[in-house]
Amino acid sequence: MRDDQTGTFWQQISGRAVAGPLAGSQLDRVPSDELSFALWRGSARSGTVLKPVSAFAKEYATKDWDTRMKRVKTVLDFPNSGLQSRDLVLGVEAFGVSRAYLVAQLVRDQLTEDRLNGEPVLIVLGPDQKSLRVFQVRVQAGQLPSDYYRYTAGTGNATMRTPLFVDSTTGSNWNFDGCAVSGPAQGECLPLIQSTKDYWFDWRNYHPQTTVFKHPGRVRS
Amino acid sequence: MARPDPNSRWLFISLVVLSLLAVACFAYPLYVIWPFRHQDASELGIALWVKRIGPWLSMLCAALCVAVLVLLWGRLRWFGRTAGVALVLLAAAACYGARVNVYELMFHPAGTPQFVTADHAKVDADDMVVAVRIDNVSRAYPVREMAYHHIINDTVAGEPIAATY
Repeated sequence: MRDDQTGTFWQQISGRAVAGPLAGSQLDRVPSDELSFALWRGSARSGTVLKPVSAFAKEYATKDWDTRMKRVKTVLDFPNSGLQSRDLVLGVEAFGVSRAYLVAQLVRDQLTEDRLNGEPVLIVLGPDQKSLRVFQVRVQAGQLPSDYYRYTAGTGNATMRTPLFVDSTTGSNWNFDGCAVSGPAQGECLPLIQSTKDYWFDWRNYHPQTTVFKHPGRVRS
Repeated sequence: MARPDPNSRWLFISLVVLSLLAVACFAYPLYVIWPFRHQDASELGIALWVKRIGPWLSMLCAALCVAVLVLLWGRLRWFGRTAGVALVLLAAAACYGARVNVYELMFHPAGTPQFVTADHAKVDADDMVVAVRIDNVSRAYPVREMAYHHIINDTVAGEPIAATY
């Protein structure tokens, strides 16, 4: 990216200025989500949506663009990494470490528990069976973080408010906002951790120290 | 037939060099930063530097090309004059090219973005969106649109942001 005001070039993946008068500067990342339109609409009724530019609408990606993109050759490969270059991963950079999670496995498992530098995190599949969010499992003082979560959402017309998972410590039900909707923890919300959906080769290139999560198998249900 | 004098020969060589330098201002960054081409950090650094100075350097080269051709004109035969004019035109074309953002010819910018309410958005339920929320103002950018425009310059709740994909 290049800004017209100073002519500085900025790296999209990191928000860092790599050349020009502001080289070395850093843009602040705005917390964002990638989720299905139906799920977003259900929780943001007063929100607004980018309107297509009619002159270029026929150039927009088709619904199968990501399937076709998988066949495009990459400029980089990491052959001994255990992942294919165009494998879709959910990249998380938190608590001083970077980790990549295979999206296909996160979707199959629905609920994934992990620790990043000792901090417990939970990766949750949304009620649309496509969106993913990462939460820090932080609880109030005097409580212990749960070490066992169970995914409870079924299919159907689930929304953002639909209870998705329950924790073993309090038995509370939590939704995709990471908020307890019933049970002793009702009203509490887990902090959301920013994550990035990316191709493995790209995530690995910009996070050379990243580790890859090894899925132990489905979470107990 | 009289041989060209050494000064004329060196002037013509400088005309060629200036024209090629103007072309390099446009062509080198285009080659390095071409989509789906791997760049290493130093190569990219040089290309971005050339891209920044290219518009002015190419204009200077094109102007010098004209000046050199004017100096040489009386000493050139028809073949030399034709070649000289071609080199000047090449430098002028490169000067224009150094000012054109070819990537925005491939992926047109969205300009000032327009928005509709969620109820009026023509987006399929299962299409993915990139969503932000600032001070209770929610905004969604459909991925299929973002995959073309790549950058949307927007202001959400008074905050200027660049939504990128």
